[in-house]
Amino acid sequence: MAHSAVTSTDQYNYEIIKKFAIMAVVWAVLGMGAGVYIASELAWPFLNFDIAEITFGRLRPVHTTLVIFGFGGNALFATSYYVVQRTCQARLYSDALAGFTFWGWNLSLVLGVVGYMAGYSQGREYAEFIWPIDLLIAVTWVVYFWVFVQTLRRRSQPHIYVANWFYLAFILATALLHIFNNLAVPVSLFSLESYSLFSGVQDAMTQWWYGHNAVGFFLTAAFLGMMYYFVPKQAGRPVYSYRLSIIHFWALIFLYMWVGAHHLHWTALPDWTSSLAATFSILLLLPSWGGMINGIMTLSGAWDKLRSDPIMLFLITSLSFYGMSTFEGPMMSLKSVNALSHYTDWTVGHVHSGALGWVAMVSIGSFYHMVPRLWDTKIYSVKLIYVHFFLATIGIVLYITSMWVAGIGQGLMLRAFDEYGNLAYTFVESVTFLHGPYVVRAIGGMFFLTGAVIMAYNFYMTVRAAKREQAAIEAKIAAKMANA
Amino acid sequence: MSNATDKQTGAVQTTGHAWDGDLQEYNNPLPRWWVWAFYATFVFAIVYWLIYPTWPVGTSFTKGFGNNITFTNDAGETVTTHWNTRAKLAYDMEFSDGAVKQREYLDLIIGASYDEILSDPDKSAFMRSYAKGLFGDNCAACHGAGGTGVIGLFPNLVDDAWLWGGSTAKIEETLRHGRMGFMPAFAATFDEQQLDAVAAYTLSLSGHEGDAEQVAMGQKIFQGEEGGCYYCHTAAGTGLESVGSANLTDSIWTVANVPGAEGYEAKHAAVRNVIANGISRHMPAWEGRLSDGEIKLLTAYVYSLSGGE
Repeated sequence: MAHSAVTSTDQYNYEIIKKFAIMAVVWAVLGMGAGVYIASELAWPFLNFDIAEITFGRLRPVHTTLVIFGFGGNALFATSYYVVQRTCQARLYSDALAGFTFWGWNLSLVLGVVGYMAGYSQGREYAEFIWPIDLLIAVTWVVYFWVFVQTLRRRSQPHIYVANWFYLAFILATALLHIFNNLAVPVSLFSLESYSLFSGVQDAMTQWWYGHNAVGFFLTAAFLGMMYYFVPKQAGRPVYSYRLSIIHFWALIFLYMWVGAHHLHWTALPDWTSSLAATFSILLLLPSWGGMINGIMTLSGAWDKLRSDPIMLFLITSLSFYGMSTFEGPMMSLKSVNALSHYTDWTVGHVHSGALGWVAMVSIGSFYHMVPRLWDTKIYSVKLIYVHFFLATIGIVLYITSMWVAGIGQGLMLRAFDEYGNLAYTFVESVTFLHGPYVVRAIGGMFFLTGAVIMAYNFYMTVRAAKREQAAIEAKIAAKMANA
Repeated sequence: MSNATDKQTGAVQTTGHAWDGDLQEYNNPLPRWWVWAFYATFVFAIVYWLIYPTWPVGTSFTKGFGNNITFTNDAGETVTTHWNTRAKLAYDMEFSDGAVKQREYLDLIIGASYDEILSDPDKSAFMRSYAKGLFGDNCAACHGAGGTGVIGLFPNLVDDAWLWGGSTAKIEETLRHGRMGFMPAFAATFDEQQLDAVAAYTLSLSGHEGDAEQVAMGQKIFQGEEGGCYYCHTAAGTGLESVGSANLTDSIWTVANVPGAEGYEAKHAAVRNVIANGISRHMPAWEGRLSDGEIKLLTAYVYSLSGGE
């Protein structure tokens, strides 16, 4: 199999992957920075400074867009192009079209984020982009699908590797979700505002069908694809069970589509709709765990690697958080638990145990594996990877535990009755209570952000060294040529 | 199907495929506990489907078995229906411990006079418990959680000074219909010297002695037709409840922050500023937003905050 290693930089299109990888790191630092800032605004409201552009309401979609679509999205483009080329042993179908996906995607992000700060938002959570940007994203996404499928068709392997199933499911489902949730009529031809095609409870239903599947396909299925390549690759071990991967893949993508309505318990949505979604959420627990088992068991027999390989620490920790948050999620989808947790920070904590613990950690681990290989060099500092790992883990633990305290505490306060049958607390008393946990959460975010900055520095030094090595080699060759 | 490159395989074999050099897959069977746990979630789901409304059928849906809710609707009829969240709310509001207790007390309060509510320890304890929430959710945003207000913006409700009257009848009137507090701005009427003089005289009413000449000049303006201040504040400076004008002779200040100002100069500047710029304040009407019972409880609560008039 030596042929794949020797000529990989020529055989594959690595330039496009490098671009996506760099932007993923840039957006990670900016997006997490925005996150830390809005978390601080909640703890210390003076930080809003009465400037509309940087108030919590405007910056919150900036944060979510940059971390999910900026960091997560660019990481998925980068790793999917890396994985599909290497596991198919085929160059990307078209360099030009792949380049288009890079510019289309990142231009959308820049326009969207600047627009949010200026006050242009569609007002749909995780789909705040206004309609012209939605169109650009739709075109970009269809091109992405085309590049990916055509590359798969050019594979010189008889079988399609499991990671690619997950990437393909993610690309297909995201196209579907994005298009249907953003069906809207512009107020006028030259207006940036639009009106949703759906109304009332159907609109809410569509939004959360989108919202939860953004979690399911964008933040879960796609990152499982990443996991299925980078975990066995880094561990140097075969995937634990092919059978399990088939079963949990189909169960996962079938079941996810049903569960969005659990975001609308105790609302105007008919009871049967959200109850059905709750039962499908419970059914989703084991298929989700299938991915965790396959990842963790892949390391069975090579646990000693956890002592010597910080990249493995990131990957295994990410799978542990994945298992934890996919257990927490189905529990929170039950009506009785949801009555306590909904509209509190427990939801925010749950999202971040998935987003920081699973999505970010698996991406970071994969990047530490991939970046040196892209530039054909060694990582600048292994020690800094350890530092990053511990900062990130401490940050996540502070974040999640403070949000459990905040969410469960506020939930209990809002439903407490006194001996007269009156509500024991006013709303504002529950807000006062939140201050402490909010401070801890902001500090947790600062830990995680610091880790990301260290990663950016580590990558910068790695790439700089790679370029020097390259220049030195070229100079040597030039000197030899001159002597000859 | 065997794979020679992996020495650790043991009994388990890989699928025989390899990608990107060394990527392979074992063909381990599904973990038994995973399979059984997956089945268990199906059992849970099926039981849930049988008990609760879940599956759409035609234009309706399955209603669930053995999980009916019986409650009394607004028309006073007894209704039995399949489990649903609206019926559950109606049932809880009818039968839950807290709701039953609260309703008993509310019935007592509606029929009671303010005197009875305030003098009966049990009734006033309920009033405080209930109205604390009403005050926190509706009033505290302006008047503060403790009702102490914000000088210059929102009146203090805890002291014993009342712009619009502190009897229960007056407080209820304030709550029901709201208030418009207004004092004209004198910046265009008075020159600098006159503004200084009226401010000095105003301060002297509450014992802050200033320049005697200034005070005398201010008194002439205040009590004469030139300023006409006495129309609203009265000749004694004690204010009028009917127009909500402030008593200037006590040490309680609602707009000019005299107690917070250090030294005579600063106090003088604060009062002068109010005279120059006037006041325009608005408290919204709560009739229609709060029920009669809630207004009654809130009135008694606000009355008791200051210990009564």
